[in-house]
Amino acid sequence: MSNRVDPNLIRELEEYGLKDAAKCYNCGNCTAICDLSTPENPFPRKMVRYVQLGQKEKILKSPEPWLCYYCGDCSIRCPREADPGETMMVLRRYLTSLYDWTGFSKRFYTSEKFETMAVAALGLLVGLGMIFWAIANHALIDWKHADVSSVWSTEGIEKADLVMAGILSFFLLTNLFRCVKLVLGDYFKKIPLKMYYEEIKYLLVQFATQKQFDGCKTKGNRQRWIAHLAIMTGYATVFLLVVIFVNGLPFMGINALKFQRGWASMGHVNEISIFNPIRLLGYYSFFALMYGTSYVIWSRLKKTQPQFKNTHSTDWMFLILLQATAITGILINLGHIFDLAFFTYAIYVLHMMVAIPMLVLEVPFAKWAHLAYRPVVLMLMKVKARYVAEYEPAKGAVLAPEVEAAV
Amino acid sequence: MDKKIAVYICTGCGIGEALDVDQLSSVATSECKAAICKNHACLCSPEGVRMINDDIAEGANSLIIGACSQRVMYDVFNFENTILDRVNLREQVAWTHPAKDEDTQMMAEDYFRMSGARMAAMQPPEPFKPEQEMSRDILVVGGGVTGMTAALEASKAGYNAVLVEQADDLGGFQKNVAKNVVFPFKDVQENDIDKLAASVKANEKITVFTGSKIEKLSGGPCVFNATIKTNGSSSDHKIGAVVLAAGWKPYDPEKLDQRFGYGASPNVVTNVQFEERAKAGKITRPSDGGQVKTAAFIQCAGQRDPQHLPYCSSICCFTALKQAIQVKQQDPKANVFVFYQEMRTPGQGEDFFRKAQSEGVIFVRAQAPEIQAAGGKVCVEAFDELLGDNILLDNVDLVVLATGMVPATAFGEDHKAKKTDEPPKPNEMVASVDSIFVSDILNLEYRQGPELPELKYGFPDSHFICFPYESRRTGIYPAGPVRRPMGVSNAIEDATGAVMKAIQCVELTSGGMAVHPRAGDTSYPEFFLQRCTQCKRCTEECPFGAINEDEKGNPLPQPTRCRRCGVCMGACPERIISFKNYSVAMIGDMIKSINVPDEYDEKPRILIFCCENDAYPTLDMAGLRRMNYNAWVRIIPLRCLGSLNLVWIADSLSKGIDGIMLLGCRHGDNYQCHFIKGSELANIRLSKVKETLDRLALESDRVRFEDVSITDYEKVPAMLDEFAERLVEIGANPYKGF
Repeated sequence: MSNRVDPNLIRELEEYGLKDAAKCYNCGNCTAICDLSTPENPFPRKMVRYVQLGQKEKILKSPEPWLCYYCGDCSIRCPREADPGETMMVLRRYLTSLYDWTGFSKRFYTSEKFETMAVAALGLLVGLGMIFWAIANHALIDWKHADVSSVWSTEGIEKADLVMAGILSFFLLTNLFRCVKLVLGDYFKKIPLKMYYEEIKYLLVQFATQKQFDGCKTKGNRQRWIAHLAIMTGYATVFLLVVIFVNGLPFMGINALKFQRGWASMGHVNEISIFNPIRLLGYYSFFALMYGTSYVIWSRLKKTQPQFKNTHSTDWMFLILLQATAITGILINLGHIFDLAFFTYAIYVLHMMVAIPMLVLEVPFAKWAHLAYRPVVLMLMKVKARYVAEYEPAKGAVLAPEVEAAV
Repeated sequence: MDKKIAVYICTGCGIGEALDVDQLSSVATSECKAAICKNHACLCSPEGVRMINDDIAEGANSLIIGACSQRVMYDVFNFENTILDRVNLREQVAWTHPAKDEDTQMMAEDYFRMSGARMAAMQPPEPFKPEQEMSRDILVVGGGVTGMTAALEASKAGYNAVLVEQADDLGGFQKNVAKNVVFPFKDVQENDIDKLAASVKANEKITVFTGSKIEKLSGGPCVFNATIKTNGSSSDHKIGAVVLAAGWKPYDPEKLDQRFGYGASPNVVTNVQFEERAKAGKITRPSDGGQVKTAAFIQCAGQRDPQHLPYCSSICCFTALKQAIQVKQQDPKANVFVFYQEMRTPGQGEDFFRKAQSEGVIFVRAQAPEIQAAGGKVCVEAFDELLGDNILLDNVDLVVLATGMVPATAFGEDHKAKKTDEPPKPNEMVASVDSIFVSDILNLEYRQGPELPELKYGFPDSHFICFPYESRRTGIYPAGPVRRPMGVSNAIEDATGAVMKAIQCVELTSGGMAVHPRAGDTSYPEFFLQRCTQCKRCTEECPFGAINEDEKGNPLPQPTRCRRCGVCMGACPERIISFKNYSVAMIGDMIKSINVPDEYDEKPRILIFCCENDAYPTLDMAGLRRMNYNAWVRIIPLRCLGSLNLVWIADSLSKGIDGIMLLGCRHGDNYQCHFIKGSELANIRLSKVKETLDRLALESDRVRFEDVSITDYEKVPAMLDEFAERLVEIGANPYKGF
């Protein structure tokens, strides 16, 4: 059965940022130079060929884009300046939109207008909601001291947070499920559940440390890995703080972990100790995010390395929202410290106006989704290699040692 | 001419150390009947040359110079109004044999005896002057890019050109091409063929005949008579030399394999048909004039395929790239795929491949793509080697097949097929007969056929590496795609090269001299027709078709067509063909002059008939490298091994010479013979003499043919030693001493 060529794919991908893939003459230097490419899952040449020949089905089933951390070696080495690294980046955007069953992601990626409108609309909605909530609650507002919970009760925020987290998880997990099914293909049904279970630790380690990123031995990669890790850990920490620990864990009776502490709940004093462990975590998040995003923004503006040469509109949106979230977050903290009531409330509204679109749009539908796809696909590849080694030794015999070493 | 012979022996370069020069001088004086015999330590120095010139002033007119090879210092030992023979004492004696050795000395003495015999038989050549007035005009056949460039180049060099074009207007194939790509192959450009045509028409030195053809071309270089027919009326023109730029025709797509889908849908066209559509305006879907959204170019359609054209036409990759870019430039959103076996864009052409890629053309390496076509629906299925899987490209609006170039000379039936000669006897070696296709282009009045013989696949080239623009007909130089498949850039270069050859031809011929490869030779074959038996061997075997015949079968030599190889001389059983300075009798005398020691001396003799063009320099190179070889050999250089007359074998054997070796060029496919068929003919003649030897109970192993190329000098000493060993096994020649 011949594979139908979709000649329009290459132009479709242009909307995701594809530029030079047609220049590739398939010499394979990119695959040869890549530290992460394996005999089992070779890339990027193969993926570039899929793009040239409009092999949408094959792309959809490919785990390779998620195995690439874009060190840029391939793009430097490419004799045709076909920028294979960027093609891999484009394919990650494309796959994110294909995994998303709602179709929202596709529009978000392919239309700058839609992207801006979605962020702005959601931001405005959140802002208005916050203001209406404040107006409805105006009698209780503490105008003398900066106490956010007097305007928007922490319990209410917590409930909203949990509802939002539930919705986001629903979208992200359904998309992730589609990703797993597509990447594994026939193996999805074959591989016993136990095997996945046994590799959970690997998943968590990859998630938390992004060790694989550090697998590229390119000069400068270590710094990018640190910046990347800073963004990820900074954001994950603050996510835990504001979504899970915003009100502590009241059902477990743990109040000390409460992130958002009110004037009243603290017995009419302002908690100002910046050495409180919860506060310290918040500061870590701020500095980690600021370092990471500033490094990336500066690199992208200066186009210092191949992976920073081409910036899609969604990349800018992501970085701007992220940095704005961090800045407004720290300003709220300063408002509390200096006890500036109106300033704090205003910034809080602004903070929500950037943080919520950031979460709602980026996590299940756009760039943040790779937070889930990458470690999961890595784990799937390991599970698959194990399965092949155990149940289909004939198939894996030749490749097994390399696969083992690579994974 | 009254000969006053002077012998000079150079003692430089190691000759003096290797030989007893006094002894040699006395042998030379008596054997050559020399009036003067002098030595010099450095004969090629101004003093040495002055010494010779002084003797010439005092009446010496026949010079024998025993020094280095005839292949060097020919500019120094160049004396007017004398005849000259060179004895190769350096490369073939002193440098290849032990010094002060009896055998070395005997060899040098024999060479002087042989030179004396040659000198006695040699006459000064007189340049050939035809009775007719000689023309220097250049006839250019074909008015395409090649032809027009050739005519312009001829006029720039000061020669009149006559340009004959079959079509009603100049331009050739390029007239129908909207855009082309030439060096440095960066982008497509507008075709400026009209400008070229206008400058040809405006040139006073060029006479243009359009809508015309050559009805008849007779004579030879400088005395060609071309009958040009235009609209029913004919005119005659005196011509010096001819540039054949008849161009090419596209391979007939109807003959293509079914998998190319030609004819199954109007949307499957050839690259030539694409050009016609592009010239007409917008490139559209042929079936309904719709937009071309997806186009597929299929390379090597019936090319590099033994069933169709076995060769690569070399320009179809460029053409496909150009056409693909044209489609892309018309609509950047169009999907363009090129299916190729190998993308061949030599040299800077690679840049053009890159250009196509950056325009977004997608390349698919596939060995046998299949086009499924029905009406307006076309799809292409192929095994993509990079994907390792089959792909299917459907809804293709336009498929363009890269059909190849067939030279205009490849059409028409084969002239030799017309001959009803009896079939050759089984097991008999016969000379290959040239294919001459009756393509109605030149209509030569030549006995061997009306057009140029083909080298391969209908291309009338002479030799693909050594002699570009040469054909097997003197004074007719093919250029452009008729010579080999090529594009505009190469055709322009080709036209210039071929005109240069044509100019050399008229200049040399008008001075009574031979053209390449014996450029400048003023001797020519003379026929003693009273003794001719009309056996036709000379007319048939001449590699250049230089000899016509009258109705009785007598040869009618046309000396300006002759290249002076002497193949006719070797062929003639009556030995009636000779040159002033090269003849059957002369070589026979040289053989007879060799001093053959009798059986009890145990000094056998091996005679080498050696081709001057490759084998002789091979032996010289062995000398330059100071390699030793057998001292029994005596070498006689021949203009071409094809001039070997069988009587020389008989002369040698009856003289008591033990073995005879023929050293010539490789023949057959990829031949290296300067005269195309000389060594092949010599080998065939030798096979015949071997039969006779066996009949006479003389071991046929005594004669041997070896082919060498100029780089084979390493092998030659072993080759000679092995032959000598074989001769020792056979024993001495029984005729020794008779």
